[in-house]
Amino acid sequence: MKALEIYLGELEQHILLIVLRLGDEAYANPIGEMLVNSALRRVSRGALYTALERLEVKGLLRSTMGDPLPERGGRARRYFTVTAAGLRALRHSRSVLLGLWDGLESTLETR
Amino acid sequence: MRSLPASPPRLAERLLTGALSGTPYQSDIVGDLRESYDAIARRRPRYARYWYRIQVIALAGRYIFRLRFVTRKRGSIMDRLFMDARYAWRSLMKRPATTAAIVVTLALGIGANAAVFGVIDALLLHPFTIKDVDRIVMPITLSPRFNGHRETVSPADFLDWRRDLTGGSVEHLAASEWWDANLVGRDEPERVLGFHVSPDFFAALDGRAAIGRTLLPEEEVLANSRRVVLSDGLWRRRFGADPAVVGQPVLIDGAQWLVVGVMPPSFTFPQQAEIWAPWSFDEKTARNRSAHYLTVFGRLAAGRTIDEARAEMSTIALRLAADHPDTNADLGATVLTLSRGMADVGVPPVLALWQAAGLFVLLIACANIASLLLARAAERGREIAIRLALGSSRGRIVRESLAESAILSVISIPLSLAIAAATLRVMQASMPARIVRYIAGWDRLGLDVWTIGGTIACAAAAALVFGIAPAAHMARSALADALKTDGRTGADPGRQRIRRALVVAEIALALPLLVAAMLSVSTITSFITGWQGYDPDNVLTLRAVLPESRYPDQDSRERFTRRAIERLGEVPGVREAAAGNIAPAIDSNAVRAFDVSGQALSEVSKWARADYRVVSPRYFEALRLPVRTGRGFSEQDRNGSQPVAIVSEAMARKFWPAGNAIGGRVRLADGVWLQVVGVCGDVIHDWFTGRTPTLYRPLAQAPTDTLVFAVRTTGDPVALVNAARNAIAKVDPVQPVFEIMSARQVLSDKTVSLRYIATVMAAFAGLALLLALLGLYAVMTYFVSQRAREIGVRIALGATASDVTQLTLAQGARLTLAGVSIGLVLALALSKAMEAGLLGIVSSDVRLTLGLAALLGATSLVATYLPARRAARVDPIVALRAE
Repeated sequence: MKALEIYLGELEQHILLIVLRLGDEAYANPIGEMLVNSALRRVSRGALYTALERLEVKGLLRSTMGDPLPERGGRARRYFTVTAAGLRALRHSRSVLLGLWDGLESTLETR
Repeated sequence: MRSLPASPPRLAERLLTGALSGTPYQSDIVGDLRESYDAIARRRPRYARYWYRIQVIALAGRYIFRLRFVTRKRGSIMDRLFMDARYAWRSLMKRPATTAAIVVTLALGIGANAAVFGVIDALLLHPFTIKDVDRIVMPITLSPRFNGHRETVSPADFLDWRRDLTGGSVEHLAASEWWDANLVGRDEPERVLGFHVSPDFFAALDGRAAIGRTLLPEEEVLANSRRVVLSDGLWRRRFGADPAVVGQPVLIDGAQWLVVGVMPPSFTFPQQAEIWAPWSFDEKTARNRSAHYLTVFGRLAAGRTIDEARAEMSTIALRLAADHPDTNADLGATVLTLSRGMADVGVPPVLALWQAAGLFVLLIACANIASLLLARAAERGREIAIRLALGSSRGRIVRESLAESAILSVISIPLSLAIAAATLRVMQASMPARIVRYIAGWDRLGLDVWTIGGTIACAAAAALVFGIAPAAHMARSALADALKTDGRTGADPGRQRIRRALVVAEIALALPLLVAAMLSVSTITSFITGWQGYDPDNVLTLRAVLPESRYPDQDSRERFTRRAIERLGEVPGVREAAAGNIAPAIDSNAVRAFDVSGQALSEVSKWARADYRVVSPRYFEALRLPVRTGRGFSEQDRNGSQPVAIVSEAMARKFWPAGNAIGGRVRLADGVWLQVVGVCGDVIHDWFTGRTPTLYRPLAQAPTDTLVFAVRTTGDPVALVNAARNAIAKVDPVQPVFEIMSARQVLSDKTVSLRYIATVMAAFAGLALLLALLGLYAVMTYFVSQRAREIGVRIALGATASDVTQLTLAQGARLTLAGVSIGLVLALALSKAMEAGLLGIVSSDVRLTLGLAALLGATSLVATYLPARRAARVDPIVALRAE
């Protein structure tokens, strides 16, 4: 395992997974809603934007602007997609977590 | 097709757009928020706007303080400032006790200033809530013979002004005149504060009736003038908020008046008036230029300025002076803004005094804080030297120091506002309602945008003041010296000099405040307890204003007064009952122009003036006002007999310096010659003017419609209030009496505003004293701790505990002496300024000043004594072990 593999925080993992799930509709509003509804975490808008921005700076997300929309006062949406590096980081996080879970199922279930 | 999207609050959206400018995410974040807003607004529109604002505040805050500084490339100015602020914040939080002490000190200083600023704002800057208040003006007559050179306007002048200004720079010119309306309703008769006003009064002041109408131009004619407009308060109180009262007659001053309208609750101008009627005039009044009693209002015409109005008024006044030299020769005219015109001339100097006191307190607080920060800088001397040695720039360290000051200021602002709000609430609650109506704006005392803005500006200025000394010190501190010293002795002469200077300044600033406060308190005490010229104990006073419709002539007034005095005299517990047009110290006065025989001048306007009293025969006995020479009035001085007068000693001295007042003759403006038959003692009617010349006439020879009954009682006068009221009701059951109170209460009420000045000054002085003593104590404690090693050496070499105590005390005494000396000079200057600014009611007192200086010196020594005793207990072994 490479020492410099990017480690993902929990929120970052959630966001990347949600962006993958949302596919073409992955912009900030539905990402935030899904965080609330599926991951059961209430994140302030500011924190969400900061996290998205950080992920983009790290090269794990890429963003593109859509078309201007009237219900947004003529402003466009910023759609996010997960980059190859993002997928790699997710896989790495998953394997770390699975490795840690491995063999503990019986302990956790009986207690 | 979906409906048009709802728009979020525009200002909030603009704020967010601004806060995000420069980030690449501006457009999409604003868009996201708008989209969410749209979704929420479809279900809960009101909540959506609230939600949007909260989101904007959170996001804008985050992006201004986080994204902008953290993720942008390092090294920009904002970035560096943010770093400084964070560093300063951490360093402040490391010493929470010092930080808390500084914040509280600062909040007290700023809070005191904010409270004073709140008063100034309410009373001077924004006393009225009327729309376009800047356009409302008050044309006034200027006269060299009057205090402040301003005077009310005569009817003929007003009518000329109104004619000449038509089409000019002022429109809706309206006169107003005080009116004590005796309103008779379902229950007992009541005196209501009213005004006779020209119909244009309402247009000038932008007053529109809530029900019915205001006054019409044709109601200015005497025959149509029995119309009234009610205030909302009166309408609710006396008429049960019944809208049908409009169009109905009411009984006022014994006649039927038609109610034509009710004003909205917001309109109570002037002086919380409750009723308005037309100011009407007959031929004779329209020609009257010698009686000045009208207050005039108007509104600047569209596009015209107040300067144009002033120029126009001067021209008119010049022409009137040329046309009517008898009355208008030395009269001018000008135009004031409403706020200036309605302000009490006594208020600005008092507020200036308070503001000066507030500033002194703030300066003392700043000196304290600067001193604390310097002490902190000393503790951090080595840390800073090391940072400098490692290549940190001096600028960075100075910036950090300034950032600390700025953060301290910002933290203290909410606390300051809380202190100011609490202070203003206390001030407002403790002023009697009877007085409040005379102080325009007092009812709106509180924190508003202006006061909060002023507070923030004040905090910023304070941060600069107390931040400069420590920052300058850091900028200068020599690297080598700081590293050489071991950081414990901290023997930095420069820093110690600054701190000593700060303590001296604190003491020097505290002394004048103490003196000012004590002067105010002693002046007011002497007002109430001092010589009055009569005996105010065991006297009950009652006031009544006889309406013209029921008491149209001298006979009817005289009859009422005589019978009322008889009835009052029959009440058990009453020794003497008397009446006059004015009683001492009540809040109105009567003045007449007169001419003393042998000194006749042709022009009435140049005649001398004296306080004018019309009194019943037993008036002097009832008030125990001594008749010095000659005789008092008797039943023989009646209508038709020789007109007589009694003059006060001040008047006798002034006009008959040879002592031959008795037998002298006085002519009044209406042509009556009075023979002086007696000289009575002086009375203090108003402390501002002291012993004024006063002329007394028998009531039977000049009956009056404004009456004050004075009843001397055997016991507590307040116990007879109801009996006295019933006695008057037996004479005329519909005649209201008001302000029934003891003469002592009258005196006390008259000093309410003065007591206010004194209380506020005392609060300031107490605060200043406390801060100055704390400052001295902190500095002396610090010096002692810094010199522990030196003291240890002294003790090791044989110095006794008392030697060491004396050493420290002497150091404290030198600082105190320097402070007190400078303070004395300031105190004398301030008391002279108070003497001049407060119209002479306060006189400077050198003995009091010196006494307070000694007291301050002694207290300061006590504050020094505690650290001195600690110094004496220094254990030489402990102190030297640190070597």
